[in-house]
Amino acid sequence: MSITIALPSKGRLKEQALEIFARAGLAVALPDDERTYRARVEGRADIEIAFLSASEIANEIGLGTVDLGVTGEDLLREKLADWETKAEIVAGLGFGRADVVVAVPESWLDVDTMADLDDVAAEFRLRHGRRLRIATKYWRLTQQFFSGLHGIQVYRIVESLGATEGAPAAGSADVIVDITTTGSTLCANHLKILADGVILRSQACLAASRKARPAGDAAIIEELRRSIAGAATG
Amino acid sequence: MSTRYAQTVAADLAALFAARGAGIVEVPVIQPADPFLDMAGEDLRRRIFLTESETGETLCLRPEFTIPVCLDHIATRASTPRRYAYFGEVFRQRREGGNGFFQAGIEDLGDGDIARADARSLADAHALLSLLLPETRLAVLLGDQAVFEAVLAALGLPRGWRMRLARAFGSSEQLSAALADLAAPAPAGALAEPAASLVAAGDADGLAAHVARKMAQGGLSPTAGRMPQEIARRLIERAELRSVRLSPEAFAALERFLAIDVPLGRAAAELEAFARDARLSLGGALDRFAARAEAILADGLDAADIRYDAAFGRPLDYYTGIVFEISAPGAERPLVGGGRYDRLLTLLGAKEPIPGVGFSVWLDRVEQMADTAR
Repeated sequence: MSITIALPSKGRLKEQALEIFARAGLAVALPDDERTYRARVEGRADIEIAFLSASEIANEIGLGTVDLGVTGEDLLREKLADWETKAEIVAGLGFGRADVVVAVPESWLDVDTMADLDDVAAEFRLRHGRRLRIATKYWRLTQQFFSGLHGIQVYRIVESLGATEGAPAAGSADVIVDITTTGSTLCANHLKILADGVILRSQACLAASRKARPAGDAAIIEELRRSIAGAATG
Repeated sequence: MSTRYAQTVAADLAALFAARGAGIVEVPVIQPADPFLDMAGEDLRRRIFLTESETGETLCLRPEFTIPVCLDHIATRASTPRRYAYFGEVFRQRREGGNGFFQAGIEDLGDGDIARADARSLADAHALLSLLLPETRLAVLLGDQAVFEAVLAALGLPRGWRMRLARAFGSSEQLSAALADLAAPAPAGALAEPAASLVAAGDADGLAAHVARKMAQGGLSPTAGRMPQEIARRLIERAELRSVRLSPEAFAALERFLAIDVPLGRAAAELEAFARDARLSLGGALDRFAARAEAILADGLDAADIRYDAAFGRPLDYYTGIVFEISAPGAERPLVGGGRYDRLLTLLGAKEPIPGVGFSVWLDRVEQMADTAR
C-alpha cells in the first residue's frame, strides 16, 4: 500500500504546500540535491512525494498517475475535460487565492456586465469586419463561461501565454480573461473587471484522482484529507 | 454511416441533382478553420478536428459543406444564380460513435426570387428524402427569422432590445432570459463624472471626446477596435433603454406570437389574425411569408405534413429568413436541416450581397431509418 502525492516544484506555492503539510504532521524530507524531484515524508513509508509544475499536477491527477496533488482549482478546471469525473477537490488550502475574470478596457464606459459585452460582441463583426477577440490562456473556462453560461457565441479566442493584460493595448485582442489576485495589474493596464465577470474564485487545493484503488490506499487518502483539511483551517 | 450505403445511393443522388439543375461541386476535405470558427463561434472548436499547417495556418477537416461551397463560389467569382450540389463526408468530434458522417445537399445562391427559391429548396430536400425513404411519411417544421424580427419592429421596441431578442430567437432559454431582463432591467452601474452629465445631456460628441481621452490614457488605438463614437453612442442608447420597460401588452403579444404552431396552410391567416388583434402592422414580412407558403404548397407537398412554429429558429447571426427541418416518425433527430442565409456570403467576403438558401441531409440518420424500415 502506498500512494503518490504531487507537490508544486517551486515558488510560493511550494513553500506554502510544504508548510501546510508540516502543520498536518507530514514533514517532507527534502532531498539534499535540489534538482531531485522525488522526496519522502518522515516516518511514512507509504507516501511518496513527487515535485511537478502546478499545471502538470492537474494533468497527472486527471490521468491518475498520482493519487493526490496540490494545485490550483483553476488549473484542474482548465486542463481537464469533464474534470469532475477525473478529479475531486478534497480540501481547499486557503492560499494561492486568485480570481479568473473577464476584464475590458476602462474606456469602454458602456460595458459593465456580460449582457453589455454580449451586445458589443453581437455587433462587432458588422462594425469592424472581424469578431471580438478575447486574449486568454483559459480556453476551456472562457468557452464554458461565454458560450455555456451566457450564450455568447460570436467571439474568437486569441491564445496568450503571458502578459495577457497587455493584449488590448498591443492591439492583439479587445478584452481578456485572466487571473488576478488584487486587480492592481489590471488597473495599471487600464482594464476593469465586469460586475458579473468573475468566472472562478480559485485557490490552491488538495485534489484526489478519481480512480479505483485498494481499500488501504483509500484509507490513507481519507486520513490525509482529514489532517490536511484540519491544518488548512486551523 | 457505411461507405456501402453511400455507394448504394450515390447514383440516385447524382440523378436527382442533375434532374433538379444542380451541378456537383467538389470541396477539399481539409479547410482553413477560421471561417467556421468566425461564423459559428468558438464553441465549435471543441467539436471539429483541428490541425496546423507547417506555416502555422489553422486547418480543419470540413465539419459541413455550406461554408466551403460559398467560399468556393466567391473565390471563382462564379455568376449567379447558381445551384451547387454536394455529397460527401464531414467530420465532427463526438464522445461516442463515429466521427465521420455523410451529407448531401444543395446550396442555391443568388436567386432574387426569395419565395420561389425557398420553396424549391424545401421541395429539393423533400424529394431527396422521399427518394431514399419512399415509404416514410415525412414531417416538415418551418420557422421564419424575418417574421419574428418584423414583430419586434412592429411592437416599437428600441433597436437595442430588438437586437438582443433577435439574437436569442430559436433558443427558448435565452429568449426567456432576455425577456425577463427587459421586463426588469438590472440597475445600471453608477457612471463617474463627467460621463454621467454628458450622457444625461445626450452630448454624443462631448462623450466621444471624453472616451477618446480615456482610450489614449489606456494606450488603446482609437481605430483598431471599438471607437470613441461607437462607445458614446451605445452609452446614450443604453441609458435610454434602461428608462423604459417592456410593457405588459408587448410582452403578452410576444408570448402569443411565439405560441403560434399551426399547419402551414393556416399559418398566414393565423399571423394576420395575430397582427390584427395585437394592432401590429407586419408589413412586407407577412406578404413574403404568405407568398412563400403559397409557393411551397404549390410544389405539391402535403400541406398537412408541414407545420409552422413561430418560435422555431437558429441562434446564428447569418440566418435571415426561412429555417426548416424534416424529420420522420421514430427518428430522434431531424434528417434534414436547411435555411436562408442572406448575410453569410458578405460575412465570408463577397463584395456584393448574394442571397442564399440551402439544406443538408444527414445520410447516416437516413440509413438508420432505412434499416429500421427493412
